[in-house]
Amino acid sequence: MTGHPANGLDDVVHQRVRLGILTIAHEARRVEFGYLRDSLELTAGNLSQHLGVLERAGLITIDKGYAGRRARTWISLTRAGRSALRAEIDQLKALITQVDAARDRSTRPEEPATE
Amino acid sequence: MNVQPVPADDGPQRLLAESRQLARRVRAAQRAPWAPLLVLSAVTFAAVPVYRYGRYALTCRTYDGGGRVCLVSNTATLVYWPIALVLAYVAIAAFYLHRARARGVGTRVLPVAGIGILIAAVTGGAAAWLATHPPVGGFLALRFASGQAGWVFGVVSPAFAIGLGLLALAVVERSRALALLSLGYLVFAMVPGNDLGWVIRHPSPWAQVPRLVIGGSVLLVAGLLFAWVQRPVRRDRP
Repeated sequence: MTGHPANGLDDVVHQRVRLGILTIAHEARRVEFGYLRDSLELTAGNLSQHLGVLERAGLITIDKGYAGRRARTWISLTRAGRSALRAEIDQLKALITQVDAARDRSTRPEEPATE
Repeated sequence: MNVQPVPADDGPQRLLAESRQLARRVRAAQRAPWAPLLVLSAVTFAAVPVYRYGRYALTCRTYDGGGRVCLVSNTATLVYWPIALVLAYVAIAAFYLHRARARGVGTRVLPVAGIGILIAAVTGGAAAWLATHPPVGGFLALRFASGQAGWVFGVVSPAFAIGLGLLALAVVERSRALALLSLGYLVFAMVPGNDLGWVIRHPSPWAQVPRLVIGGSVLLVAGLLFAWVQRPVRRDRP
């Protein structure tokens, strides 16, 4: 990749809650709305807004159904969602590596320290 | 170098750490190895009366040199194991699906159940074929004749099928403990019982019972241990 890793971050995915949603949906294959709400400690309205952003971006699909008489909403990753998650994780790792390297260079003494 | 600032809350290290933690929590919610272990233990113990009271048949084949190879087999067990293992994997899959729905996360158990049923069918078929077609030529026949072909029976044994099924589950659940247990169980299945001195020799109808009791007990104890480790932790204490 060329350029700084931060330039490759996707604004839709590079957000704490939305990255959490994608991570959970990827690991769980299919996740219920209530599990996401509890795990990410969000209100239903807040979670719905984030899900809307991800759905509009084509990264997740939302299926509504019933378990007995109880309405349930299930969230799954699309193929684009899996790719976006993988890309985000790769970019984050690259960013960490680059930041660590920059920090090492900045802390290395180039000339005798003066007080 | 130009390091672009990232908002503190969305710092890459924190995001990655949170992401890993969330993934770990999902895996913890999905795991329930104690259930298959207890089901397979029950299936193993239930086989004891089948071995004890099932009918034994002697199948002999004569090879060209004039010698004979004979095998004693219990026809009831050849029927029992494939059916019992298929039912066990169906029950395990149903349990995981029910649990996944209740917890709100998906499950990867269906491929495991499929693999388990396939292994049960293949090992059951191989055991039935071996029981009716004792080898009469080549290397295998020589090993049979000298009583050194126990590993062949190990590979087609129900215990081996159970060990492979558990290994598949360990891979899917990414559980090192279950993987180690599965490998140990596969070794147990491969080792001829009389090498370890726990088999009552044929033609006693009790011949296989010690092996079944040991195998069932290992699965039972492991299942109880996993259940204990995964027991819900009370968080309402002061």
